[in-house]
This record gives sequence, structure tokens and C-alpha cells, in this order.
Amino acid sequence: MLTCKELVAHSSDYLDGQLTLRQRLAVRAHLAMCGNCRRFIRQMKLTQAVIRQMPEDELPELDALAERLAQDRRNQG
Amino acid sequence: MSDTDLLDRLLTGEQKAYRELVARYQGAMRAVAYAIVGSRHADEVVQDAWLAVVRSLAGFQGRSSLKTWLLTITANTAKTRLKHNRREVLLDDLAAPHGMVGDERFADDGHWLLAPHAWHQDSPEALLTEDELRDCLEHTLASLSELQASVLVLRERQGLELEAICNLLDISLSNARVLLHRARLKVFATLEHFEETGQC
Repeated sequence: MLTCKELVAHSSDYLDGQLTLRQRLAVRAHLAMCGNCRRFIRQMKLTQAVIRQMPEDELPELDALAERLAQDRRNQG
Repeated sequence: MSDTDLLDRLLTGEQKAYRELVARYQGAMRAVAYAIVGSRHADEVVQDAWLAVVRSLAGFQGRSSLKTWLLTITANTAKTRLKHNRREVLLDDLAAPHGMVGDERFADDGHWLLAPHAWHQDSPEALLTEDELRDCLEHTLASLSELQASVLVLRERQGLELEAICNLLDISLSNARVLLHRARLKVFATLEHFEETGQC
């Protein structure tokens, strides 16, 4: 039986689909029994969603760069 | 707009199409450059990569997606820049502001000693409304090594598969998995700390 510590160590691989079938079943069996680890996995998924939705840096030079690249392309004919 | 439609407009030199291309892909290109050459030269590499992209555009065959093609050009530009000065893959962790769910959280038998508490907010939108937390998360991301930050950005924000990240950055799958896992735990620890204390 997987311990909570081992589950945490495998958590990213679980979320990324990198576990073997056997490991995945062990994680699922542990999660079925352990509310703390179910909460941890929920919070890891929320962590992923937060990273995904964090605002990206603005691109201040966007228009100037686009103009230059378009010009370069036109110059090539 | 599909890659093919965009490509047609790029080939005619339409400025709006370039604007869209840059807005859509520059973040991912920067993450690739950042991982390979570091923060000092990342912007120059991205600029050089864009010039190479424009030069090679007519030869784009569509065998891979436009994104994969752009990122491959970026990685190659960065590697050329680096030449023989390839930096060591930094697997040693730099300290993060709130740690990363370490051994002290577990009892000797591997059970939680300090189990995670329920968080006040359960959606990313609600969490990110707090200015202080956003700043705090930026601080944690800035504490990651360049390679680790890039792996996290490419996986979570850009949605790249792990295998694609490994190919672009010349790292093994096991290295990528370790870098990603530790990065996530660091961000997790920051969120948890903020949810428990209300402070950064």
C-alpha cells in the first residue's frame, strides 16, 4: 500500500499520465481511502490551473516587431 | 484561425498576421530561449529566431504544427548561440520562498503529519483576484532556476507534452519530470501558505 508521502512524490507523474498501470491503480486505491491525499491532489490541480491563468507579461514591442517582420518578408519578395 | 490560413497571410507580408503570430507564440519561444541561454540572452535569441522564421517561412512544409516549428527554430538558435558553453542541467533546487512539501510534513510511517487544510478559494479566478497573492506567486516563479521555470511554463501555460519539452531543451524525461514536480510543489507551497496566513 502506497503511503501519503509516496503519493505526494508520484503526484505530478499521476497528473501528467506518466505512471505505469500498476502505479496508477496504487494511487487510485490510496485516494479512495485517504481524504487528505484527495484534498492534496485537488489542490495540486488548482495549482496547475492558477499557473495556467496567471497573466503573462505584456509585449510592449509587439507592433514594432510585427511591422519589422512583415517588412522583412515583403523585402524578400 | 488555422495555421494554414495564418501562413498564407504571413507569406504575403501582412502586418496584422505577424502581430497575431508574435502575440500567440512569443511567450513559448521566450520560455525555450530562457531555458537554454538564460535570462541575459533570451530576448536576443528570440529576436534572431524571428528573423530566421521570416527567412524560412516559404520553406515551411507543415509536417509539424507551426508552434512546434517555431519552437524548434528557437531552440536551434539558442543552441547555436550557446555553442560549446552548454550550461550544466541544474537539477539542484534553489530555495523557494515557502519550501515544497518536504519530509517534515510526514510521520515516519509516511502518513501526513501536517495534512493540507481546506483552502478558502477553490477556483483559480478567485485566487488570482488577490493582488498580494499574484505578487507572491511571481516572487516564487522568479525563485526557480531558468530551466525549471521554463519547463513549468512550457507544460502548464503552453500545454506542451513532456516529450516535446525534452526534445526542445535536450533534457531527459526523468529530469523534466523532477524539475516539473518540484516547481509545482513550490507554487503549491506558496498558495497553501497564503491560504493559511493571508500573507506572502
